Amino acid sequence: MTESTFFRSEEMSLIQLYIPAEVAQPAVSELGELGLVQFRDLNPDVNAFQRAFVTEIRRFDEMERQLRFFTSQIEKAEIPIRHSHSTPYLTRARSRQELDDLEERLSEHENRLLQMNNSYETMQRRFLELTEQKHVLRETHDIFEDAAIHQEDARRSFDEPSAPLLDDLETGAGLQLGNVTGVIPRSKMQTFERILWRSLRGNLYMNTAEIEEPVIDPSTDVIVEKNVFIIFAHGREILAKIRKIAESLGATLYPVDASPDRRREALSDVMRHIEEFNSVLANTTQTRRQELMRISENLNAWMTIVKKEKATYHTMNHFNYDINRKCLIAEGWCPTNEISTIQTALRGVTERAGSTAPTILNELRTHREPPTYHKTNKFTAGFQAIVDAYGMARYREVNPGLFTVISFPFLFAVMFGDVGHGILVLLGALYLVMNERKLAHVDGEMFQMVYGGRYIILLMGAFSIFTGMMYNDIFSRALPWFQTGWVFNVPEDYDGKTVIVAEPNGHTYPFGIDYAWHGTENYLLFTNSYKMKMSVVLGVIHMSFGICMVYYNAKFFRKPIDIIGGFIPQLLFMQVLFGYLVIMIVYKWTVDWFEHDAAGYPVRNTPPSLLNTMIYMFLSPGSVNENDKLYPGQGFIQGLLVFIAFICIPWMLFLKPYYLKHEHNNARSKGYHQPSENHVRISTDSTHSDDIGGAVVADDVEHEEEFEFSEELIHQVIHTIDFCLGCISNTASYLRLWALSLAHAQLSEVLWTMTLGMAWSFTGFVGTFLTIVMFSVWFSLTIFILVGMEGLSAFLHALRLHWVEFNNKFYQGTGYAFEPFSFVAVLSQKDA
Amino acid sequence: MGGLLIVFVFAVVVALSSASYLFTPRGPNQTVIRTALIMTLVSCFLMWSITYLAQLHPLMRPRHSKIRPHNPTEHVTF
Repeated sequence: MTESTFFRSEEMSLIQLYIPAEVAQPAVSELGELGLVQFRDLNPDVNAFQRAFVTEIRRFDEMERQLRFFTSQIEKAEIPIRHSHSTPYLTRARSRQELDDLEERLSEHENRLLQMNNSYETMQRRFLELTEQKHVLRETHDIFEDAAIHQEDARRSFDEPSAPLLDDLETGAGLQLGNVTGVIPRSKMQTFERILWRSLRGNLYMNTAEIEEPVIDPSTDVIVEKNVFIIFAHGREILAKIRKIAESLGATLYPVDASPDRRREALSDVMRHIEEFNSVLANTTQTRRQELMRISENLNAWMTIVKKEKATYHTMNHFNYDINRKCLIAEGWCPTNEISTIQTALRGVTERAGSTAPTILNELRTHREPPTYHKTNKFTAGFQAIVDAYGMARYREVNPGLFTVISFPFLFAVMFGDVGHGILVLLGALYLVMNERKLAHVDGEMFQMVYGGRYIILLMGAFSIFTGMMYNDIFSRALPWFQTGWVFNVPEDYDGKTVIVAEPNGHTYPFGIDYAWHGTENYLLFTNSYKMKMSVVLGVIHMSFGICMVYYNAKFFRKPIDIIGGFIPQLLFMQVLFGYLVIMIVYKWTVDWFEHDAAGYPVRNTPPSLLNTMIYMFLSPGSVNENDKLYPGQGFIQGLLVFIAFICIPWMLFLKPYYLKHEHNNARSKGYHQPSENHVRISTDSTHSDDIGGAVVADDVEHEEEFEFSEELIHQVIHTIDFCLGCISNTASYLRLWALSLAHAQLSEVLWTMTLGMAWSFTGFVGTFLTIVMFSVWFSLTIFILVGMEGLSAFLHALRLHWVEFNNKFYQGTGYAFEPFSFVAVLSQKDA
Repeated sequence: MGGLLIVFVFAVVVALSSASYLFTPRGPNQTVIRTALIMTLVSCFLMWSITYLAQLHPLMRPRHSKIRPHNPTEHVTF
């Protein structure tokens, strides 16, 4: 058993559990609380409906459905649900009796709620009818009153002597008009009118009035606008026809008596009914609300219990059932260091249940590839996520996440170097870190992403402050903290136009770039050379570090050929070409190229260009132009280095495949063969006798692959070409550090001069006003463009440098993640 | 001081690194703390020393043309 570190993933063991059937449920739920075992499916051929605990899962599905129904009802009634975060009360495994009680209770609640909903709906429908009737009576009242007056008029006109006799007869009959009254949705009004007009050929008198208050349809909860209509016509058939048409268009008919007394009576009747219904409805709503309140108090607790139980039985479906011994057999992966924790937990379950049969835990020997489990904490989790997004580490391979913790924020900061911007980022991250408990439950995908990376951002901000000091930039201004190394001798009669070249005063600025460079004409020229060389130096060191990890992997997995045929030639190739470049860069800096001897003659030639030196190292190996010499004996050394580099290529290419072939032939000549395929799964074989004591060997599903020399050679050719070309292109890729840091510095400089610099060239009131306006412009652009967008871009480039340039030197990333059965995961996953 | 400062700071960084290697408390996070401290020291030293070296024997001098004729000294120091 080894101590767990972040350098490699946890050591895993395949364990086998014999759980007596009577304690199976509490034992599995205890393991769910622990969240340390990833169970394997032992019945992969059995489909979901044929498994052992299907009925239980159905039962919990039903309970979950009921709980969801309650949730929707409670949300509709706008009652707050009490959120309880993992009380100890919830972590206990439930007994069968308790679960039965819960099921009964849920059904009871559901029935009551359904009943109440039902009666509430009927009552509401009746209430609606009454309201509509009220409106019909009110509106038609006016119409009838009108009609009564008109009737009088009509009578009077009939009594006039000039009136024609026939008319009098006909209209006299027409006075016995029947009416149809009712309510119809406003949207159907036009259609209704048109159909009536056409089918009755205009033989009707129709009057409508709008109901002003909106009517709510109880079955759909939609607000409908309705009209009251009254139609006068004569003839029974015609009236019947009108009724039919009205009903087919969704109108509700309410008969109204023609006599005003009866109408008044009916109206008061309706009003009384409405009053009654109002109080009954309020009562029903109140009781329903109380019921929901009672449910809402326990809803979350019940939901948690049901989800946990369901997950428990779901996991138990992956187990084998041994009928003879009445026990469940489970198999799964767990961290080797945690086996004792699991055993203690299981013993506790047995004791609590008062059972005599203990749960037995066996460690199995296997050739299966275990899952990868990096034990992270809240600080390292974000960095590990960056690595995992590239690929899950192979079991126990070197974890680049450990180094990413510092190298990622550092490389980010090289591109983002500015004290001011660094402080802004740091403050933002500090806010997240200080309030991490409060903010953990804030929703929003974007926010959760930033929140998850809060410690990354914190370090990014801190390193940006440091690199900003190196670049001597605070919001593109300089910090004159130390004695400068340059003096500008400005003459008395200076005209403000001629170029003044600074004189060295013997000092070297001790911390960062000399502030005297700020704002000079050749500032960019200077930082250009400095930042380019720095990115090459940092890049080569970063990549060489990655190559060194090949050694640790080879040593750990006991593959000496990976050291001899991989690590050594790779590191040599890298150092001979780019390590030498780094040495030349540093050497060129350390030499005073303008040194004069006593006679006043220059000691050295002009400083040679390193780029040309690199190029001519390959074009004419072994000789260097006298004027371009860096140091004596350069020609010979460079020739030797090029020679070594060329040796390295066949070394990488052929050593490993031929060594493997040799190994393979050796093994074969000694008579080892591939094991035959007909192994029996011991864990499924319940009659096996000796599987309780000691370690049991589980079968290997994957056999070692057949050795194929040509395949190995092709693989190695690809790998070698990839590495050699990669050395060159990856070194070039680190130049993004140079490009982005220059761009960042220039952008913030431009922003400063365009806003605040401009504002400060004015004086007086205009100057004050402009300063205030321009400050807000400058500040918001700084936040959104320089910190937000530039930060994002630097983040992505740092990400790429880790994923491609660093990781491809050693990281396989072919493993699979450890996903233990854990209630925490089950509960958080289903909430989403 | 000159180039000796780099050697001196290097010695300090080595001393601090070994101190952080030796004195990190044991526990589940020992590796992470150790690695983080040492890598921080190394990367910061690298960047500082590169910056310092680049200015040790400068190949070019700052050139200014926008100095204001009046009170020029004030402007030079920003």
